[in-house]
This record gives sequence, C-alpha cells and structure tokens, in this order.
Amino acid sequence: MQKLVLAIGAWIIAITSAHFALNVNWQVLMNDRLPEGQRKLNVAYIPVT
Amino acid sequence: MFQGFPEIKEALMSNKMQAAFMVAPMAIALRAQGVPVKIVYLGHRYGSAVVVRRDGPVHRVSDLRGRIVAVPSRFSDERLIVFRAMAANGLDAKKDLRMVEMAPPDVAGALAAGAIDAFSMGEPYPSQAEIGGFGRVLFHARQYWPDYISCVLVVRQDVIDKRPDAVQVLVDGIARSGLWLDEKERAKKHRLHAADFVGRFYYHQDPKLLRWALTNPIDRVKYEPLSPRRADFETIVNLMVQTGVLDHAIPFEDFVDTRFAEGARAMTAWKYEAGDDRAR
Repeated sequence: MQKLVLAIGAWIIAITSAHFALNVNWQVLMNDRLPEGQRKLNVAYIPVT
Repeated sequence: MFQGFPEIKEALMSNKMQAAFMVAPMAIALRAQGVPVKIVYLGHRYGSAVVVRRDGPVHRVSDLRGRIVAVPSRFSDERLIVFRAMAANGLDAKKDLRMVEMAPPDVAGALAAGAIDAFSMGEPYPSQAEIGGFGRVLFHARQYWPDYISCVLVVRQDVIDKRPDAVQVLVDGIARSGLWLDEKERAKKHRLHAADFVGRFYYHQDPKLLRWALTNPIDRVKYEPLSPRRADFETIVNLMVQTGVLDHAIPFEDFVDTRFAEGARAMTAWKYEAGDDRAR
C-alpha cells in the first residue's frame, strides 16, 4: 500500500513539474506581477503584414 | 501571436494587450465607438494584393463581377482596396461581387479548394498562393492606391498617458527596424535574414515564404515612411463612410497621436548583421 501511495505521489509530482515547465509562460506571469510602470508592454500581432 | 483581428480587438479592449498591430479601419472604427485607443505609427506600407486562382477565369478586375472575394475583416484596407479597384473599373463592389470575411491564415487554403474565387489579403498569403502554384496576383494594392496602408500600431490611451516613454521606445524600435529593412544596398540581405528569424521564431512559417514576400520584388512591402499622415487617413475615413462601415467622418486628431512618430523622426537603422550578438 505504501509503495502504491509513493508511486502515485511521484507520478503527480512528475506530471505537475512537467506541466509547469512546458505549459506555463513564466515570463508573462512574472511580468504581470510587476508594478504597472515596470511591466513590459504586450503587443498583439497576427502573422500577416 | 493571434490568428484574427477580432481576437486582437478583444485583447486590446480587455487590457490583456496594451498595444496591437491591426488594420487601420478597425482602429478607426474602435475610436469612433469610443474605445480609448490611438494609432501611433504604421506597421508598413503596401504588402496587400488581390489573388485569384491561377487557372481560373479572372484575368481583369471586371472579371470579379459575381465572384466571391475573401477579406480579413469588414474593417480592413483589404476590403477598401477592392471597392477602389472595382470603382476604377466602373463597378460597385457592394452590388457586383460577394465579400466574405475570413481569418488571414485560411484564405490560401480556401482559394486552393475553390471555396472562394479570390482573396484580398496582406502578405505572406498572396506569396503562399503564388508559391503553392494555385494563385495568381490580379493586382497589388499599389496599383490602385499609392502609399497604401494596412496594419497600424494601436496603443491604449491609458498606456499613452501613463507610460509615454515606453510607447516611444516601442515606436523607435519599429522605426529603426523599418530603416534597417529598407537600408539601400543592404536591403535584400537584411530582408533575407529577417525572413529567416521572423519565420522561425515569430510567425512560425516557412522562411522560404517570407523570403518570397519580402524580396519578390524588393518593394513588395515597404517599411518607410511609417509616420501617420493626415491625407492617408482622410482617404481611409472617406472610403469607410462611402462603403458603409463608418457613420460619419471623424477628425484625424481623434484617432491618431503623432507625437511618437515625431519623436522617432531622427532614428537611424539598427546596426545589425547576421551573426551579431545584438542590435545597436
């Protein structure tokens, strides 16, 4: 039983870590937490002239 | 990166984005509706074309009568250029053809599949249709509209008021990039390099496509002058009113803030060549 719990825990940690590393844009997240005057401007574009 | 102008409009209005490149008539329409944004600079000049099927029956503008033409938005210069070209050939785009709105990345596929007869769109989609062998440029925007404008840089009014220095840095960077892309004898080299890194890191498109769009011919898209000029925008506003997407003309000062373009007037081209670690 203990082994199963450890395995599930390790799996959850691995999946969560992979999600944070691959799917979360940390630059955007950190930028949004800065005071307004220090934030980088977000500029929208589409792939067309 | 977005895939359509309506999504950009929403992101700008909700402050998810503080600035955006969008088609000039959409920016004017937003301002006319009371949305607090201003045009501060242009993205480029020219770079739009009307494309038809290569082996299709459309060989002259008058052959567009009764056809289906895709445009990126009813609030786009690509729509207005169709009206202008049709009028120059004695036709009325409102009565003589059917316009449909379509996201820019979808038009080349729609043309190839025969879902539309033509599209009016900015680069690199005309180039995509040409390279793919299924499209033919019927006319470039410059043929009917000297100094044609499509995308402009729009900034939220609260950002202009609170952070004018940041807006100036942005405009200066665009001005310097434009001068770099149009730098006389180095223009082709710079454009080939830009096609490579923009294709790979920003547009996620085949660099071959952007190389075609930026160099075939070299002035297919121009990056100067990018200052917003009153006469250009008055032409757009008048066409918007005539074609029924704007109730009444609004003054230039209501939707354009020229101070950042004036601030960028003394800018020089970036000093950057392929392989340099940074632009100076």
